[in-house]
Amino acid sequence: MGEPMIEAENLGIQFVRNRRRNLRLREMIIHRGGRQPDAGVFWPLRNVSFAVAPGDTVGVIGRNGTGKSTLLRLIAGVLIPDEGRIRVRGAVAPLLELSAGFSNDLTGRENVHLVGSLHGLSPGFLRRRFDEIVAFAGEQVANAIDTPVRHYSSGMKVRLGFAVIAQLPHPILLMDEVTAVGDADFRKKCYDTIDRLIAEGRTVMLVSHNENDLTRFCSRGLYFDGGRLRVDGTIREALDAYHNVVRP
Amino acid sequence: MAGSVGILPMLVAFGSFPRLVAYVPLRLRVLPDEREATVTSGVVAVWSHRTTLRLLVRRDLTVKYQQSVLGYLWSLIEPLGLGAIYFFVFGLLYRSATHRHLGEAAESYPLFLITGIFAWMWTSSAISEATNALTGQARLITTMNLPRELFPIGRVAGRFAEYVAGLPILAAVAAVYAALGRIDLGPSLLALPLAVLVQTILLVGIALLLSSLNVLMRDIERLMRLVTRVLFYATPIIYPLALVRDSGLPGWVKIAYEVNPLVGIFQLHHSIWYPAEFPDARLLCLSVGGSLVTLLVGAAVFRRLEPAVLKEL
Repeated sequence: MGEPMIEAENLGIQFVRNRRRNLRLREMIIHRGGRQPDAGVFWPLRNVSFAVAPGDTVGVIGRNGTGKSTLLRLIAGVLIPDEGRIRVRGAVAPLLELSAGFSNDLTGRENVHLVGSLHGLSPGFLRRRFDEIVAFAGEQVANAIDTPVRHYSSGMKVRLGFAVIAQLPHPILLMDEVTAVGDADFRKKCYDTIDRLIAEGRTVMLVSHNENDLTRFCSRGLYFDGGRLRVDGTIREALDAYHNVVRP
Repeated sequence: MAGSVGILPMLVAFGSFPRLVAYVPLRLRVLPDEREATVTSGVVAVWSHRTTLRLLVRRDLTVKYQQSVLGYLWSLIEPLGLGAIYFFVFGLLYRSATHRHLGEAAESYPLFLITGIFAWMWTSSAISEATNALTGQARLITTMNLPRELFPIGRVAGRFAEYVAGLPILAAVAAVYAALGRIDLGPSLLALPLAVLVQTILLVGIALLLSSLNVLMRDIERLMRLVTRVLFYATPIIYPLALVRDSGLPGWVKIAYEVNPLVGIFQLHHSIWYPAEFPDARLLCLSVGGSLVTLLVGAAVFRRLEPAVLKEL
């Protein structure tokens, strides 16, 4: 298999609830930081180790608030771990927030060029593929392509965001609840695209609560509970573990 | 971006480099403790993403001017208006007092004023916009893995583009005074690139420092509004440095005054047309040294706070 595409070693990240409150002058002077020094400190992820080989399709499963999105953010490099390490050997195409980082004040057209360029697509490539991207995003978006993105519905944003991300040649694709927003027609397009990307041998990590999506795309499953990696096996094993907790 | 602004984006200076590295294909992320050892890696990261930097600056300028009728003309109207106000007060009302201290600039006070004010607009707007560079773009920062330094640096670069847009006006006014024989153009013009260089170093340092601190303490934004107001009067922008040096202020106040790196930078700006204003060796060292220290401190604080900043955004 060669070197793993994504490799997490004893990965951990610590969040502080109310960090800002702790910084407030009143707190600093009156309580001198002595009030429950560890109050609000928690680990959304800790002691997580796994390796993902090139071409793996991994479903990330767990209840809300068990660190799934945090994990994708760590892989995408938009969070920095406090413990351990995460190694990513290749560029990442992330669809983390539905909007894919669009600026609300810019039009759809400007955003496609901005976000595409920020992801490393050349202006020429974007010009050639522009019609294709807009067509993929659907008629509604095509009609509004020259209006600012702040007037878009969340469905329209995710359509356009996915359309741009789908053009990226990056070997790693991260998706967080993408299919939850779009309508049936868009979901079909998404499925076809994801199928195509998987067939091309991309490495895919998918966060979803939709069992059909998970079993359809993923061969492997990671089940998280309480910030720990509980099951690292086939998608079936991970889903079974998840169901055992949710429906004991 | 479909050329919607016009002249300004083209002025964004770093466009001439070939698209060598659009993105770094192999991005290994490193341990927290490895990060400490690699302050220079920040410089490398920013340099390899200069295309991205240009995009962000162009985006900022597009957004800033898209809904105003006069567009980028505002970056000229604002400093010129300020210049007119100060000329009215100090050039007309307090004419004799001003002329006593201006020396060789006495006959061309409007040029003296706008030279300082154009450079000041760059300083003050870069400081205020860099302060919320991270908080205001949280959406982009939390979805895309770019060197985070780009966002504050982009704000400094964007305001620099506006400064460059004002240079033709400055040159035109200077040409008029040169034609009237009130100033002599000469090798002192070379003070301009030096002033810009030192000012860039200082502003990038301030931008890195304030943008990261502001994520954790939003007070910075309000504090800086007051501080920039103080700095405006604590820097020889509308008055000559001689006014402070010749004043009866206690010695320690004068020393504290000149520790501000902006003092030397604005003396450099004024010395473009008035060679006698060129800062002496001590002032130049204070200014360059202070700017470099600010940059190092800013970069170190930014690095240190980066993990916490990303969590807070």
